[in-house]
Amino acid sequence: MKALKALPARFHIAAAVFLLIAAAGVAGPLAATAGPGDLLGGPFVPPGADFLLGTDHLGRSVGVQLVHGIRTSLYIGLLAGVAGTVLGVLIGTLAGYRGGLADEILMGLTNIMITVPAIIVLLLLSISLDTRSVTVMGICIGAVSWPWTARAVRSQIASLRQREHVDIARLSGSRTWRIIAVELLPYMMSYIVMAFVIQLYGAILAEAALSLLGLGPSGTASLGVMLHWAIAWESIRGGQWWVFLTPTVFITAITFSLLLVQSSLDTVFNPRLRVGKAAR
Amino acid sequence: MALLRHILSKLGWYAAAFAAALALNFFLPRLLPGNPVDTLIGQALRGHASSETKQRVYETYVAEFGLDQGLWSQFLTYIGKTLQGDFGTSFSRYPAEVATMIGDALPWTIALQLPAVLLGWIIGNLVGAVAAYRRGGFDRSVYLSSLFLTAAPYYCLAVLLLYGLAVALPLFPTGGGWSFGNSPEWSAMFAVDAVSHWFLPFLSLLLVFIGGQAIGMRSMAVYEVDADYVRFAESFGLPDRKIVGYIFRNGMLPQITGLALAIGTLVGGALLTEIVFSYPGIGTLLYDAILNKDYPVIQAVTLLVLIVVLVANFLVDVLYGLIDPRIRAAERGER
Amino acid sequence: MTLASITNLSAHYTAGDQRFHALDDVALDVRPGQVLGVVGESGCGKSTMASVLSLNPGPSLRVTSGTLAIGGRDVDLTDTASHRALRGGTVALLPQGALNALNPTRRVGAMAHDILAAGDRRITRAESLRRTAARLEALELPPRVLRAYPHQLSGGMRQRVVTALATLRNPRLLVADEPSSALDVSSQRLLVDLLRRLVADGLVEGIVFITHDVALLSELADRIAVMYAGRVVEEAPAKDLVAAPRHPYAQALLASVLVPEPGTRGHRVTGIPGAPPDLRAPIPGCPFAPRCAHALDRCADERPPRLVIGERDDSCWRSAEAEEAAHVR
Repeated sequence: MKALKALPARFHIAAAVFLLIAAAGVAGPLAATAGPGDLLGGPFVPPGADFLLGTDHLGRSVGVQLVHGIRTSLYIGLLAGVAGTVLGVLIGTLAGYRGGLADEILMGLTNIMITVPAIIVLLLLSISLDTRSVTVMGICIGAVSWPWTARAVRSQIASLRQREHVDIARLSGSRTWRIIAVELLPYMMSYIVMAFVIQLYGAILAEAALSLLGLGPSGTASLGVMLHWAIAWESIRGGQWWVFLTPTVFITAITFSLLLVQSSLDTVFNPRLRVGKAAR
Repeated sequence: MALLRHILSKLGWYAAAFAAALALNFFLPRLLPGNPVDTLIGQALRGHASSETKQRVYETYVAEFGLDQGLWSQFLTYIGKTLQGDFGTSFSRYPAEVATMIGDALPWTIALQLPAVLLGWIIGNLVGAVAAYRRGGFDRSVYLSSLFLTAAPYYCLAVLLLYGLAVALPLFPTGGGWSFGNSPEWSAMFAVDAVSHWFLPFLSLLLVFIGGQAIGMRSMAVYEVDADYVRFAESFGLPDRKIVGYIFRNGMLPQITGLALAIGTLVGGALLTEIVFSYPGIGTLLYDAILNKDYPVIQAVTLLVLIVVLVANFLVDVLYGLIDPRIRAAERGER
Repeated sequence: MTLASITNLSAHYTAGDQRFHALDDVALDVRPGQVLGVVGESGCGKSTMASVLSLNPGPSLRVTSGTLAIGGRDVDLTDTASHRALRGGTVALLPQGALNALNPTRRVGAMAHDILAAGDRRITRAESLRRTAARLEALELPPRVLRAYPHQLSGGMRQRVVTALATLRNPRLLVADEPSSALDVSSQRLLVDLLRRLVADGLVEGIVFITHDVALLSELADRIAVMYAGRVVEEAPAKDLVAAPRHPYAQALLASVLVPEPGTRGHRVTGIPGAPPDLRAPIPGCPFAPRCAHALDRCADERPPRLVIGERDDSCWRSAEAEEAAHVR
């Protein structure tokens, strides 16, 4: 709690922005009377009394699509973020704690996965799936995004396991999983939280990128899908700013606020970054 | 020569990674249920021509991919053709060769990305080093704006720039590689036209790269600024630009590794930027191929990106060995 | 006759809304051809003084008052913007930890050229290298050092290279900020010899040597100043101070270390009870009063005056009262 107070103002602002958008994604679809695919008016109606955010090329309400899109993007992001973090922590912990051959193999795999761009693997996966449900997309993204977390967790665990209290636990016959759960992971909690924020950020970006390429979730709106159609129907060149600006602004706001949250957590929890030098 | 040995061992590692990439590119889509090539051909030709043409095209592809054989011999066929630079025939633009389509698009992408990456890297790192050294308000504003530039996906900035500087304020053309009615040729007029189309996508990539590099360099240089050698250099009243140069040089070394690791993301993101501007490069080619389910083109593009990323990583590894005197000395066995 | 004299120097660090009063009305004189030793425990303000004296205070340090008179001019220590031109030429720093003081990716010769060019923009590279080679030779370093990167030099060579660079522009005053603290005993001896030679050969006109090591100072320094809680509590010729410290803190400090002088062998080493004061609030009286065995009532509330007697001075109410009594009589 003390640490929360030490966080800079930009943390609180960014967290508030993110939570506000998330709340819109949760409450919006419940409040909206129409679905994201319903044709409600003429094409490209500018924002006004009828449609707060106008309509798109088919006459669907941009506002309704937006709240559904936020929901889809956040759902995929959360699913992938949790999957990526859990996988990363598991693999990193295993490699770092076991060491030896297991470490060599897992880290070799991790390094290859880091070198190969995740978006390419996702593209190859998505292209083969004819229909892509949001859950499948979330799992796919999570399945390719763990390597960064795994690598960082591994190096932390490898140094933590040298500590005395871990030795004592091992000598007193604790089981491996118990040592990991009781002696190692609690020291990693702040780090894992930060890793999760980064995973969430990366997953939302990945979903948006895939959707922009036309490989988005089938049969629903997402922020990336909205942008995809906005570009495919030339709304930028046509000057229908409400159509493309809405998803752009919200993708940017979500990712920027998440990155701000992560960077302010980093300044508090990462002692090397703490500024403010006391007397030399 | 220890340096040579170092490079050779790296080469071995990259050869292994390349084999993995090749296998990934081939097997990933095929390991999923059904025969994707089968369905994809069906989809690509849906509502297309008579069933007779369909049958003919279909047979061409069965022969080309060796679909009547087992998975392994298909893989061998694939490797053999790929190594010869034969990526097959396009589905959507039958009978265009995929290799030719890539060859047409590649120069545009290189002209866009290479200068943006190099210039963005240099400017971004300088800005980051100066910010860390100056501290205070300048540092804060550089940090926040860089964070903003990197946080937003590339294509979002591209969308904003395109709308702002080409539509709302019509300073630049709204997209494409050249004006309508013009055609690629070696003439001054075409060059001017191409540069005016090139500038906005280039600017959007440049800004994003500057942001990303500035953030990385700043967090690196924050430690360098307090280093003893900086205090010592300051104690002689060395000019700021000299000291920033010191910090830059020392902070740059980890940044080069960072560049290697980020190349995949950079290239991927830059391809998406092309889509926003309808720039006639690899990104737009990929986008069209996905829309048309043009599987051979998609597979060729993904392979190309994988190769570029691996080669870039390898070059950065070699470069790192050349730049850091500490590494160089270790290679020569000096102390 | 003084080479450099610091008067009325006060400075504090700011961290958040708190202030740490690191230096409180400090005055010191450095005489030509001499080494002035400044000694004190960690946190007494001696490193802060090194950064102020070398005209390069860090960004969180604020100098509120102080003047440095050197080479016939008065340098306003609060005006840090004017300092850059004086750094390296008038005042130079010999830093703590010579091992990390050299830029790891710059050759010694290139670094030397940067330093000389900072004082004289028009100097050529060849001229820089020639002058540096001469200085390296004077410190018994081979010319190949010019082409070396720091990691190619041994620890002892790096120490000498750093010393050579620090004195390259023949500064009047060399501020040595605990240069010995990371060295082993034999390297310390070499450094002491080196510094004495710099003064003897006239490469620098005077040295301020800052350390926590009284024993080392007793060999190196001509005069010693003892610092406590941001103040100079006593200053005297080295021999006199070691033999008969006057200020209770100086006495306690000397009693807590072994001085390898005949007659001190076998003395009991005692620590100083209590802890240094909190510097977040200004201290009205003597900062040592809470730990002092001889403290009087007024010590806690009234600032003791600086009492100069002959070659030495100290700031203690006991000395002041003894002196007063002697005058009355």
